[in-house]
Amino acid sequence: MKETRKLQKRNLNGVRGETKVEVTDVKRVGKKIQRKKKEKVSNVDLSEQPQASQLQAISSEKPKTKKKKIQKSKEINSSPADGKLSGKMKKRKEKGGDVDTITEPNLEAISTEKVEEKKSKMNKTKKKRKAKEITRASVEDDNQKREGKSKKSNKKKKMDMTSMKENQIEEEEDVYEISSGDEDCTKGMKKWVTDYYESRPGIDELQKRIDDFMTAHDERLEKEKQEKEAKAAEGGWTVVVHHKGRKKSTEAESGTAVGSFSQASLEDKIAKKKQSEPVAHGFYRFQRREAQRNEILALQSKFEQDKKRIQQLRAARRFKPF
Amino acid sequence: MEADTVTDSRNLKVSDLLKDVRFDYDSLSQLVDASVSSIKEVIDGIPEDFKVTSELAPSFVNDIGADKVDFSFKKPNGFSLCGSYSIRCMAKPDASVDLLVHMPKECFYEKDYMNHRYHAKRCLYLCVIKKHLLSSSSIEKVVWSTLQNEARKPVLVVFPAKKLDQFPGFSIRIIPSATSLFNVAKLSMSRNNVRSVTADGVPEPTPTYNSSILEDMFLEENSEFLKKTFSEWQELGDALILLKIWAKQRSSIYVHDCLNGFLITVILAYLATHAKINKALKALDIFRVTLDFIATSKLWERGLYLPTQSEIRVSKEEKMQFRELFPVVICDSSTFVNLTFRMTSVGFQELQDEASLILKCMEKLRDGGFEEIFMTKIDFPVKYDHCIRLQLKGKTALSMSGFCLDKECWRIYEQKVHSLLLEGLGDRAKSIRVVWNNMDQDWHVENGLSVLDREPLFIGISVSSTEKAFRTVDIGPDAENKIEALRFRKFWGEKSDLRRFKDGRIAESTVWETQQWARHLIMKHIVEYILKRHLSLSSDDIVQLVEQLDFSLIYGDKDPISLSGNLLQVFEIFSKCLREIEDIPLKVSSVQPLDSAFRSTSVFPPEPHPVACEKIDSRRLQKLLPSCIPAMEVMIQLEGSGNWPMDDLAIEKTKSAFLLKIAESLQNVKGIPCTATEDNVDVFIGGYAFRLRILHERGLSLVKREIGADPVKQVSSTDKMLFIRSQHASMINGLQGRFPTYAPVTRLAKRWVAAHLFSGCLAEEAIELLVAHIFLTPLPLGVPCSRINGFLRFLRLLADYDWMFFPLIVDINNDFGRNDEKEINDNFMSSRKGYEEDRQNISSAMFLAAPYDKASEAWTTTRPNLSEQKRLGAYARSSANVLSKLILEEHNDSVQWECLFRTPLHNYDAVILLHRDKLPYPRRLLFPSELNQGKHVARGKASRLFNPFLLPGDLKRSHEELKNKLMVDFEPTKCLLSGLQEEFGTLKPWYDHIGGDAIGLTWNKHNSKKRERDEEEESNPMELLKAVGEMGKGMVRDIYMLKPPRFV
Repeated sequence: MKETRKLQKRNLNGVRGETKVEVTDVKRVGKKIQRKKKEKVSNVDLSEQPQASQLQAISSEKPKTKKKKIQKSKEINSSPADGKLSGKMKKRKEKGGDVDTITEPNLEAISTEKVEEKKSKMNKTKKKRKAKEITRASVEDDNQKREGKSKKSNKKKKMDMTSMKENQIEEEEDVYEISSGDEDCTKGMKKWVTDYYESRPGIDELQKRIDDFMTAHDERLEKEKQEKEAKAAEGGWTVVVHHKGRKKSTEAESGTAVGSFSQASLEDKIAKKKQSEPVAHGFYRFQRREAQRNEILALQSKFEQDKKRIQQLRAARRFKPF
Repeated sequence: MEADTVTDSRNLKVSDLLKDVRFDYDSLSQLVDASVSSIKEVIDGIPEDFKVTSELAPSFVNDIGADKVDFSFKKPNGFSLCGSYSIRCMAKPDASVDLLVHMPKECFYEKDYMNHRYHAKRCLYLCVIKKHLLSSSSIEKVVWSTLQNEARKPVLVVFPAKKLDQFPGFSIRIIPSATSLFNVAKLSMSRNNVRSVTADGVPEPTPTYNSSILEDMFLEENSEFLKKTFSEWQELGDALILLKIWAKQRSSIYVHDCLNGFLITVILAYLATHAKINKALKALDIFRVTLDFIATSKLWERGLYLPTQSEIRVSKEEKMQFRELFPVVICDSSTFVNLTFRMTSVGFQELQDEASLILKCMEKLRDGGFEEIFMTKIDFPVKYDHCIRLQLKGKTALSMSGFCLDKECWRIYEQKVHSLLLEGLGDRAKSIRVVWNNMDQDWHVENGLSVLDREPLFIGISVSSTEKAFRTVDIGPDAENKIEALRFRKFWGEKSDLRRFKDGRIAESTVWETQQWARHLIMKHIVEYILKRHLSLSSDDIVQLVEQLDFSLIYGDKDPISLSGNLLQVFEIFSKCLREIEDIPLKVSSVQPLDSAFRSTSVFPPEPHPVACEKIDSRRLQKLLPSCIPAMEVMIQLEGSGNWPMDDLAIEKTKSAFLLKIAESLQNVKGIPCTATEDNVDVFIGGYAFRLRILHERGLSLVKREIGADPVKQVSSTDKMLFIRSQHASMINGLQGRFPTYAPVTRLAKRWVAAHLFSGCLAEEAIELLVAHIFLTPLPLGVPCSRINGFLRFLRLLADYDWMFFPLIVDINNDFGRNDEKEINDNFMSSRKGYEEDRQNISSAMFLAAPYDKASEAWTTTRPNLSEQKRLGAYARSSANVLSKLILEEHNDSVQWECLFRTPLHNYDAVILLHRDKLPYPRRLLFPSELNQGKHVARGKASRLFNPFLLPGDLKRSHEELKNKLMVDFEPTKCLLSGLQEEFGTLKPWYDHIGGDAIGLTWNKHNSKKRERDEEEESNPMELLKAVGEMGKGMVRDIYMLKPPRFV
């Protein structure tokens, strides 16, 4: 168990570390503010530890709809591995004293805080209350995994019941319901399925469409050509008619080539020319000198590159082999 | 000229490396002096002449089997600093200094070399010292360690209270020395000094035990000799540090039965004193000469003899004796001790192999292999194809005959396991390494030796070749050869079987029957069988790292790759059909597969679908049938013609017209059903759906010309892409045939990339090239021969490769010449042109050059971009770390292995969860995703229009209707994603194209101009996400928002 925990943490932390980098890239300005927030939140988390445990117990009375949904999803795909894992996560979070475990929910808390912050702009609530909400938000998450297992501390449950209910309603209102869209064919699954069938009207129909396109295309080309010719003719020029198609390269009777050469022979020629080049290469002194100079230049540039790279490496401390 | 610059840049790097690894001895020596003097003070303050008895460490004394160990304590004869500190060749991060404590003769009797008495007293002496050190305020803590993993020779590691930040983990190792305590002649190699070591009642010589004592007797002398050799020779010291870095990076050679820092120093000293290296050589040259000496020298067979101080010569008989007793001999200057008495022949073989590999690296690789030699960690998981851990804790069979005889029991056990596996695996294994690092970090000598089996024994096997490893029958000796046959039967037990073979031979044999797709498990079965049979271990004690990742590739209990053969047959038939078509204007001249399923690198190659056939067999319609079928692309070429239109659109239309004609002909003449859209024609044959593409050869010739000279004319992009894909497909197919492990590794890699929602960042073809690189340029390792090993290397490549400064060249058919490399480098440099001004401003963040694409235009031009590539690298690194850890130490729990493919969803700004029962291929889903954090924005109902399985009602319909019900290449996820990309530019989706039920979203960054326009959308991210939900009606289950957009 302990090892799993470590491992997960490691896995997550590694990944999270990276995203943090990204974040810093994007918002240099906001960074300071965020850091401040983070500190604040972590303070809150620590100080409200006992309260948090209370809330945990309370929020086990979850909004019923949510519970149902979870059950449903479990039915659909009740992978044992998933259950196991969440069980493990549960355990991890229970051990709240660990430094690492505190930092992790913190990150979650920040995200929720931002949402809450927006709300608070509208109805300015007290700071303390906000802090409570944050902890609750992160605690709630825990409890979804818990799935109402913990039935402890019934007394405390009642105490905060009212405030919980408020919260429930808020949640309910916020979640936007999307219809299945089975009657609306402009969006969603219905559209995709219809699109699929509409795109397959049958081979004959498609053939017809292409034929139509081709005739239209030919007509357009013809028209363009005619217009061009007409324009040229207007200017008093005679149009020299271009014979379409390949030039007659062989005499019909004899089969001998007329004024043309084959692709193959041309390629041959080029190849020969290329072959003869190395012989000439370095024959004249200027050629040799040039070649030498080029080589030196190339080497110099490579050397410069290497030096630059080493500097970069040094900056990144890549030379630490361990 | 060229060679000069290579060495130049390498020398530059080496000197920088040395600068970083060397210690600053001015400040270090102050710290050492202070610490040593305080230790001395404490030890000198120990009262003399009190009686030391075994009470201080009774279990230790008992376990090594010593008696009469009482002595009265006397102060040490003196102290001296030795080891790498004394020659100023310490290498970071190891900051420990060796301090010899010379034990006085008065504490020992003349005959104490017998029966481990010396070892017991040595240990008790240290116990006394430890007790007093602990009471001193200048010492923070003292822990036990051992000399080269030899448990009977413990040492003390002292951490002084005074610390400098410069030297983290600074410690002083107290090593007792026994200079001239005993008569050397009594410890000669042929003598028995442990009475219980007998063979049939006759005492046997105890060379290892004797060497163990002799080593201590000459510690001081040898360290003096090294000091002398290394003084005033800076380059030699630098070379020593380089060798240490090299060795430490390789956990298979830097262990107790092979190399250690001291032995490297000794080898260098040997070379220096025998004029094999002269003072003119640079450090790197000395490094190379030394490795060359290790790898190739004939002197090893004779043994190395360090120069003697006096006139004593090692006699021929003595040399012979050393050679017979030890696989490797380095005789010290006293001529009595073989300093390599712990080295095994397997260890030495491994050392030679590693050394010759490095020589190859230096010769072949860029920058003389600097990265590969010094910077790449080569631990067991990445080195060996097949890793095994044995949990031997509390296996009493181990210590039946005592912990320490001539050798220690753990070393004997290592040997036993090795020889068993060697016989069992035969030529399947290229090398087998058995290493038991049984030293616990918090071991106390007081606990005795019985606790030293807690760490698992590690076995690493390099597979010789996949064909051999996959062999199902091992033929043993002929039946007539009675003795051998009996031996064989005894070894294999009930598994051995007398068989008559096709060539008429009758021989003993073992048969490892298994299914085709599970043949990589054969070695596992063999190893398990042998170890269980001969070591009486249970299955739980044997952890083999072989099939733990297979869960990600398997449907139920079967790997779908087993149907690949069938697919290829169908393809053959299909291509024949195509070529035979007569009633089209231009005949089909060639048919070529494009889809990865044809080259076995598809994660889930399609299974034959009973509806996608010429004739539907109603009997096969009983079970649950999927309603979707993936289309596999096939490229065809037509006969040449001059009548093709000129512009791109018209060309594409003409192609479609041809395809429709082909479809018509197939349907009418051969009765092969087809379906078509404006862009695609899909053909159903043999249970598969093939999608046809035409490569227009005019485009092809233009592409070809373009490679030679600068592009005169823009080539139609479809044709160019088709050409590239066909080239890629055929090259990878060839590669896959050359390396049987390539395909499974690629599938794992693809699965991993998709599972972490990187499908949009890294094309499947790019992954294929990355994995190809691992197989084509495996240095400094061998070619991977197992999927876990290959997969780990893929992750490390992704994580560690320096994409910013180097192109990755994948030379599939080994046909890149110098000019090609130059061309690639030039292309690469131009892609990095913008780097100087702005680090983000580069194209091809991952530059992949392949024979058909030297400018990295095919797969990685725009994606991944720099930040995506960084993210990929970070994920890969953390996965690689988890995987290495799972191989080395974790318990074998499937949940932890699943973590490698389970992506944390809270790394996104928002997450869309899809209805799992609306995914077209629900079996491909690895883990159902749930999210329990963030703001729940929307919740959607599932559509009733689409179902991934054909309903029983559908099955009763006519076959024609059934065919129409079967949807080709219909993927609602893809539809949703293309909608997202079209309409919601502010959102960047991260998805799994193989079959995930979650889509991660991140807010795109904006430049200020665009922002004004999108102000409305941005101002309300909730509304935006709701709109996304509306667009995915019927498919979207939940939408969560984790982070609101960040405003710049």
